[in-house]
Amino acid sequence: MIGYTLTPEQYEQIQGQYYAPYQFFNCVQDINGVWFLFLSDEDKPEVEASEYAWVLDLPEGEYIPPTPPPFPPIA
Amino acid sequence: MILSSHGIIASQIASFDADAVAFFTRVTTAGGTLSTTEKQAVNQLVLDLKANSLWTPMKAIYPMVGASAAACAQNLKSSSFTGTFTSGWTFASTGVTPNGTSAYMNTTVNDLNDLGANATIATYINANGSSTIGWELGVFASPAIVGMSIANGGSSNFIDIKSGISSVYSEGYVGGLFLGTTNGTTNQVYKNATNKGSNSQTTTGINLSHYIGALNQSPTVGIFGDKRTAFTCYANSTFTGTNVSNLYAAVQAFQTTLSRQV
Repeated sequence: MIGYTLTPEQYEQIQGQYYAPYQFFNCVQDINGVWFLFLSDEDKPEVEASEYAWVLDLPEGEYIPPTPPPFPPIA
Repeated sequence: MILSSHGIIASQIASFDADAVAFFTRVTTAGGTLSTTEKQAVNQLVLDLKANSLWTPMKAIYPMVGASAAACAQNLKSSSFTGTFTSGWTFASTGVTPNGTSAYMNTTVNDLNDLGANATIATYINANGSSTIGWELGVFASPAIVGMSIANGGSSNFIDIKSGISSVYSEGYVGGLFLGTTNGTTNQVYKNATNKGSNSQTTTGINLSHYIGALNQSPTVGIFGDKRTAFTCYANSTFTGTNVSNLYAAVQAFQTTLSRQV
């Protein structure tokens, strides 16, 4: 899955910030600890119209998910 | 007389339920739009819920209509529990789809304080995704969980309402209405109107807000799901088998009107 890659500073700038009245940025880290942002086709016009339009110019990369922590045993 | 703000005529307003109209207004005020068919479907859903005494126990109903975050964030039941969406959702007339990697909706419905020990949660899934580990909704505070993961690992259906993590029945992915209801002791699990089994309640509630599209396991969010949701509701009441049958009939009729039934 392709996503936008962010520096730690860029992550701090946007994480949890609203780009539309009912939508906010949520970033996740990949297996190497790099922050990624994923935007749907519906998100992009909203982001472009916001103060965070610069996000759309961030470099993109292939996201490799981290190994998920073990989920508790099934009851 | 035409009300341009709603795009409907006076005679139609007179035939719409007041609570349905209030929802339409919330959607419009939020910047969303609804088609005439969506309004008619929502109105009938409200009427059906009320006719079967299912409206009052509801705390939040998200009909996922309007194909936008502004519209889908609105609670049909009241102006409380307006949701917010993260980045990464796809909104369509067929429902809302999280990306399975980072997307969730915060309903603000607190499992402990808003639902309590007697509760019912239901969600209508009408398209599969590629994830085999994702959770469609819920809150988690080990070892207790209130959540749903459909066809986990390909076949295990976890519909756990205030219990430990337990797959009550196994079935490969088949869309429909997934419901869990608990009475303070036992959690009954339903797929459409069919009882699929039960597990034991182990907690009166988890003090976290319910997420759709992932598990709220504050301080983290995890195990993101990617199945398409076309309806989700939360009630602070135990549903009987009759209640479940009536809810399924109402929701299925709603989905059929919108041509997105499974």
